[in-house]
Amino acid sequence: MILGLSFPQLIELILKVLIFPGLAFPLLFAMIVIWFERKFLARIMLRIGPLHVGPINRTGLFQPIADFLKLIQKEIIVPDNANKFLYNIAPIIAALVASLSVAFIPYALKPDGSYWVIYYTPLSLLVILAIFTARPFIMVAAGWASNSKYCTIGAIRAALQLLAYEVPIALSLASIVIMSGTFDLAKIVEAQSSIWFIIFQPIGFIVILIAMMAELSRRPFDIPFAEQEVVFGWPTEYTGAQFALIMVSEYFDLCAVTSLITVLFLGGWSGPAIPLLNDISPILSGIFWFLLKMAILTVIIIMGRGIYPRLRIDQLLDAGWSVLIPLAITQIIITLLTAQWWLPLVGGV
Amino acid sequence: MSVMKLSIGPQHPISAHFRFLLDVDGDVVLKLEPDIGYTHRGIEKLAEKRTYLQNLPVIERVNSYCDSAGTMLGYLEAIEEVMGLKVPERAKYLRVIAAELNRIASHLYAASLFSVATGLETMLMWTINDRELILDLLERLTGQRITYTYQTIGGVRFDMPDGFKEEALKRLDYLEKRTEDYYKMLLWNHTFQIRARKVGILKPSDAIKLGIVGPNLRASGVRADVRKDEPYEVYDKFDFSIPTGKNGDSYDRLEVRFKEVEQSIQILRQAIKDIPKGPIKKWTQPIVPQGEAYTRVEAARGEFGYYLVSDGTMKPYRLKITPPSFRNLIALPHLCRNVPLGDIPIIYISLDLIPMDVDR
Repeated sequence: MILGLSFPQLIELILKVLIFPGLAFPLLFAMIVIWFERKFLARIMLRIGPLHVGPINRTGLFQPIADFLKLIQKEIIVPDNANKFLYNIAPIIAALVASLSVAFIPYALKPDGSYWVIYYTPLSLLVILAIFTARPFIMVAAGWASNSKYCTIGAIRAALQLLAYEVPIALSLASIVIMSGTFDLAKIVEAQSSIWFIIFQPIGFIVILIAMMAELSRRPFDIPFAEQEVVFGWPTEYTGAQFALIMVSEYFDLCAVTSLITVLFLGGWSGPAIPLLNDISPILSGIFWFLLKMAILTVIIIMGRGIYPRLRIDQLLDAGWSVLIPLAITQIIITLLTAQWWLPLVGGV
Repeated sequence: MSVMKLSIGPQHPISAHFRFLLDVDGDVVLKLEPDIGYTHRGIEKLAEKRTYLQNLPVIERVNSYCDSAGTMLGYLEAIEEVMGLKVPERAKYLRVIAAELNRIASHLYAASLFSVATGLETMLMWTINDRELILDLLERLTGQRITYTYQTIGGVRFDMPDGFKEEALKRLDYLEKRTEDYYKMLLWNHTFQIRARKVGILKPSDAIKLGIVGPNLRASGVRADVRKDEPYEVYDKFDFSIPTGKNGDSYDRLEVRFKEVEQSIQILRQAIKDIPKGPIKKWTQPIVPQGEAYTRVEAARGEFGYYLVSDGTMKPYRLKITPPSFRNLIALPHLCRNVPLGDIPIIYISLDLIPMDVDR
């Protein structure tokens, strides 16, 4: 007995923390998505993309690793008059906060009826919302600490952007909570055992997808990073390993956001059992479906970079307040009015 | 909030070799001040130290990577006007073919920069890819991709190679079809429209007052094109129209360029069809008699003016160049008053300024 856990429980905890969904998974996710994004966008743009690094010829599979290795060799430059403590600690906090949210997301159902989640809490949705809200403040801190005009403008834009997406996200989560009657992500997935919430709440899904793209600063909402206006936004001054951390934290966030949307709207791990995986463990089958749904969402989110120009900050605020918020409220009203039809279809409550 | 001084360029993703100083209040740019001279090469003075023939490669570098064929035409026109030289018909056609191909390449380049100013990198790659087809065609014709030194005093240096006509027509057909994709991807893209429409509106009266030239002037709705107004070379023989815009905003400035590409394709088809047989050059000694001439040509970015004073020696006494980007530059501070910071790149790129052209 170590830490009050039996040996199998301890093995399971180590597996969760180190491999899935803990340390290794977001890193692997970041690596694969960075590679895929480069290759996918290259194809849209009639380019070839990375070619030479990696095992399979002409795929450039290990290009993100090569980039990462190159970046960590670079000198770390701290600008003059920067707030050194804040400047140095911001990338680390950004990566930590970004990878924190996966700890609360249930990724599969175990045969004994508990969930494959690092830390189980009945209020996991609220915890994740709180973690997401922390992100812009790290940006503002890093941008301010850099003592550069472009960084400051980028940071202020990031803070302004928060106003545009935070309320629509909260409102569309409200209609999810109304339907499932719980803040527990695992229970929300169980409520979708018969029909996914995307069928009941298509408007809510679209609102949260758009708002989350703004949260992730993906194009067309990458206003804090607008290269043509503010060079690279708040991380402009960062170099080397710090820059690598910031970039990786972006993809940790993408991992968390796609996981969250999968849980909320796409029925999480639910799906028909895959014969081969199910034989090994039913958990693997659930994880397979979860990852597949995440992958589809990731492709949709990445595609924005290939086909949309960037919005202006006032246009984003306008869209957020005058389109997304009314849509989210409409979704709540529809959800409440049609309660008698959907209530029997929601399982587990 | 206090006013922040922001310096964009010459090392900035959007600025090219150019700097502008902004007064920013929050997210609003109060004032823009262009700071030119970063790429000043003293081409006008250089031209006085070299003979007329030696000047050819220098002059086309006024606007080298975009529109050297169109740039050079005005210089040659000026020399030939002072000399009273009659250029063979075939040479005139070949000059027009080179200039129009270059106009297409230049407008595609402008479109790619425009799309990157709005943050859409896909169109950057698409248009640059297709520009390469045109540059390849020019390489077949002239031997070079960017700076040709193709047109020369009294004609052109090389004749059309074998198979050039067929290849050119094939590529023009492709480009015409491809333009539809551009419209779908960029001009009809809703996000692009809300980004570029009603941004940087230049009223026709203001445009005339400021002396704007070229596609920027036509986008404001003023029908002015040297090719129609004072036809030079053989432009009076072609059937083409002058596209104009309605609102004079950034969107119109890009749309006019796309429509001009279509018109250039029309001109090229006619030129390739009608090109007469004959010599490609009138052989003369490049000695210009005493005299002076002012010529203007419609290059891709607008009207190029050349004022040449010759004192009868091998070298020009004075060569004054009025490039279109320098004239259009004045619109930049005019348009960038009290606009959001996010619109600055779009207004700047929509004017299609080339810093080399501004500085000479």
